[in-house]
Amino acid sequence: MNQWLVAATVLLVALLPCAALCVRGGVLDGLVGLELAGVITTVVLLLIAEGFQRQPFVDLALVFAVLQFGGSLAFARMLERRL
Amino acid sequence: MREAFVAVLLVAGVVLMLLSTLGAVLMPNVFARLHYSGPAALGALLVAVAIVVRESFSLIGDKSLAVGVFLVLSGAVLTHVTARAARVHELGDWRIRREEKIEVEES
Repeated sequence: MNQWLVAATVLLVALLPCAALCVRGGVLDGLVGLELAGVITTVVLLLIAEGFQRQPFVDLALVFAVLQFGGSLAFARMLERRL
Repeated sequence: MREAFVAVLLVAGVVLMLLSTLGAVLMPNVFARLHYSGPAALGALLVAVAIVVRESFSLIGDKSLAVGVFLVLSGAVLTHVTARAARVHELGDWRIRREEKIEVEES
């Protein structure tokens, strides 16, 4: 277990408060939690690719970053109109 | 020397992300929470720079730097969009209201 994997594990724990925000807060609090969880998950994927020395896996982080941006944008626009 | 630099950047990035998560959870409302979701992207940039320092500009270095820069740029957009959605949700419209006493320059 090297420093990258330790950092990834620590950041995985930080996903729990985000989940708590989504479950317990209002709709828009949940949206903030979702955005935060997206950033954290992207960094975790990055750290796993570096930690296991699987360099091509960093594409996963790149793709996830773009998809997470589009998803949060769609959620924000939808919540603006429908609620 | 290089390893120490990597460790400092990595720890700084992870701690920044943990603190911003903590802040976002503890704040009372959406607008206060949004102040903490922005710095998380800066933490991601620090982690990306740590990977670049370790691996130099290789396959993983270039892409991790791209991810970090993208997260910072998209984070700004997401913060704005979320604040706007929250205002529309609360007030029905995002524009400044007269009774809020916020001075704006007329262009």
